[in-house]
Amino acid sequence: MDFTELTTEPIDITSVARRAVPPECGATVTLDGYARRFTKDKATGETNETEYLVYEAYEPMALKEMGKLVERAKKEFEISNVGIVHRLGRLEIGETSVVISVAAPHRRAAFAACEWLIKELKRTVPIWKKEVYANGEAWIEGEVTEEPPPGQPA
Amino acid sequence: MLIRLLFFGATADAVGSRKLELEIDENTSAGTLIAQIIQQHPSLATHKLLIAVNEQYADADMILNDGDRVAVFTAVSGG
Repeated sequence: MDFTELTTEPIDITSVARRAVPPECGATVTLDGYARRFTKDKATGETNETEYLVYEAYEPMALKEMGKLVERAKKEFEISNVGIVHRLGRLEIGETSVVISVAAPHRRAAFAACEWLIKELKRTVPIWKKEVYANGEAWIEGEVTEEPPPGQPA
Repeated sequence: MLIRLLFFGATADAVGSRKLELEIDENTSAGTLIAQIIQQHPSLATHKLLIAVNEQYADADMILNDGDRVAVFTAVSGG
């Protein structure tokens, strides 16, 4: 089955992966995205040491956008099922922030779809990350890519 | 007409609120509304802002309707 969820509880990666598996599949590719301690500031080149992270979502819209990604992935790749779970609230360093599991009859499509899904999630799903440092905090703003999300005011 | 404004993350911090109700004129576009909000909260101007109307990404020229939920936020950073 497909599923998209937001949770403030720790994510059990194995159970996300298993829930995505149907009988006709030969491989599940699972991305485990987690909170990183050291982040390089793209503007200044300085490395920031993060103490913990806070994720916030526009929850109803985030779930809709995640659902759209699953629909599009299933049209564009030869895959059977997708599960996406994103964590919200406070996360300690090393805790899982997002899990994407893609089950497919053959692994190649599952790898490609999983890569596409995380790239699009980071671009379109309304979730924001705040990095908290020893001496301050900052909301991280996504990169503006060559293909900006719709709705960008001129 | 009355619209509901929603802010998240950096925009909530800049505005000092997560939810506001605002009376606006008929035929106001999303872009015009954002310009009004930036006038009231100039620190928003340093951000690249995105708009969603009723939980869908919207362009700046979209005309708003009574009761719309208009979310104003920075480029997303989940994952």
